[in-house]
Amino acid sequence: MAAQLFDQLSIRTKLVLLLGLSLGLGLCVSSGVALYSTFAAERQSSLRALHQIAAITSENMRAALAFHDAQSAANILAPLHTNPHIRYACVEDEQGHLLGQYRAPATTEAEAAAWRKALQQAGAARPDGLHQGIEYDHHYVVYPIDFDGKRIGALAMRADNEAMYAKMRQFVVLQGGASVLILGSLLLLSWRLQLIFTRPILELIDGMRRIGRSKDYATVLATHHTDEFGELYRGFNAMLREIRVRDEKLSQLATTDTLTGLANRGHALETLQAMLTRAQRQGRPMGVILLDVDHFKQVNDTYGHPVGDRVLRDIAHILQANVRAYDLAARFGGEEFLVLCDGADLPATADMAERIRSAVASHVCRLADGQTLHTSVSLGIHAGTDIRATAMQLIEAADQALYRAKQAGRNRVEHA
Amino acid sequence: MRRGLIAAGLWLCSVMWHAPLAHASDAELLQLKAVYLGRFASYVQWPQQERTVFDIAVIGAHPLGEQLAGFYADKRIQGKPVRVRAAANVQDIGTPDVLFVALPTVAARQAAIAHAQDHGILTISDSKGFAELGGIIQITFVEQNVQIKINYDAAVKTGLHIGAPLLSIATVLRGSQP
Repeated sequence: MAAQLFDQLSIRTKLVLLLGLSLGLGLCVSSGVALYSTFAAERQSSLRALHQIAAITSENMRAALAFHDAQSAANILAPLHTNPHIRYACVEDEQGHLLGQYRAPATTEAEAAAWRKALQQAGAARPDGLHQGIEYDHHYVVYPIDFDGKRIGALAMRADNEAMYAKMRQFVVLQGGASVLILGSLLLLSWRLQLIFTRPILELIDGMRRIGRSKDYATVLATHHTDEFGELYRGFNAMLREIRVRDEKLSQLATTDTLTGLANRGHALETLQAMLTRAQRQGRPMGVILLDVDHFKQVNDTYGHPVGDRVLRDIAHILQANVRAYDLAARFGGEEFLVLCDGADLPATADMAERIRSAVASHVCRLADGQTLHTSVSLGIHAGTDIRATAMQLIEAADQALYRAKQAGRNRVEHA
Repeated sequence: MRRGLIAAGLWLCSVMWHAPLAHASDAELLQLKAVYLGRFASYVQWPQQERTVFDIAVIGAHPLGEQLAGFYADKRIQGKPVRVRAAANVQDIGTPDVLFVALPTVAARQAAIAHAQDHGILTISDSKGFAELGGIIQITFVEQNVQIKINYDAAVKTGLHIGAPLLSIATVLRGSQP
């Protein structure tokens, strides 16, 4: 579910999200380490501070303990109230008899009794030396007091951990605030950094969409990248080139007659329609020449189809040589050819037809075995400025003229 | 009646256990005085320290002399072995480090104090008014506490220096105070 949701996000969002998560994880780990080290340092600091107070107090307490002076002991302990975190302190002689104790205002007698017992037990664990420790809610020190090298008692102190926890709370707030600021700044930075990776991809996608809409496969997407993004652009441009070459081949296959190299019937009809529409819109004339090879069946039957094909290719070359650059010569089917004369009126069309007829008639086809072959063509033409005529009507008119040329003895030009 | 005696006995035992000084016996008090006398020495500096023995003299009829001799037989004060001796009168005092004064009359105590001041001797007594009389340290057991009274001027006059920790727990007589 999460993976599917993640997949639906954009690359930009994914990058920012991943960068944010990485930064957040790094901040969490560093904050955790800082928190733990601060906590450990504060623990040691709290314990050290209580130890120092106990050391000073025990030094003052030595004389009171040496002479079992309970009043002095109480007087020495009384200033502990200046530290509100010291909740209880007591001094006992070597037999464990209480000489004096200090109880903070918030400490009840029951608590004091319980804490004294706990401190006695803690001190009993290390009867020959200093004992100190820290628990969840308090820390303590049991400080031995010697006189002339002999143990005469011990001073025990217990303080709460509120000061430490207050510092830790303050540290957490500061660390949290700093972490949020850092995370926010780094997210802004990551938003800028992600552009390094997403901009080339987004530009590539934009180029792909533009080419998809325009179908302009001649476009080349420029890039200055030399890394993997540059490789991606180069690959995409190479793909565009392949598409362009293939399109040209397909277009050629779709519009060209494979035997003669002239335009095929479909392309000729499309061109005729376009040329006719333009001529009618501009009020200009256009000419159509439909020609057929005379006795072509006989050529095929006598010399074979390869020679027939050779004849068709030769006539195609003659047509190409005699039409203008803006005219179109096409193989219309079998041994029939069509010539579209853009802007040509009847005389110009007739001249062109006559040139073609004459060129074919004078052409000598030399066969492989040394024989020579003479061919001729019959041509029917139609030209004019009829604004209502359709393409098929022009073809039919030229075809009827061609029919008359055939009927009139072939190798001639007839107009509709 | 019998139940009352048992209760009283239990109360007495309890009090004795929890407050050793409150109703300590004479022997216990004597023992404490012997201990404290040695501990006082730890807070006092004498001008000359060339002696190899720490000398304690007890003047007057007081059982502390025997107690001190027994208690310090195998102990040291200021790193020196302890010698305890009894003095019957001022002429027998000599020049000990510490003089415990247990004389019955004020005049006799004054004489002993005067001798001590002249010879740099620390004077200690449990006699009432001893510090006011010119003695240096007076110890008194009152209820559950020991009370220490120090005549600081007398100590200075004797040439002794008393450490601040001891002064901090004691009632100190200075200057114009009697």
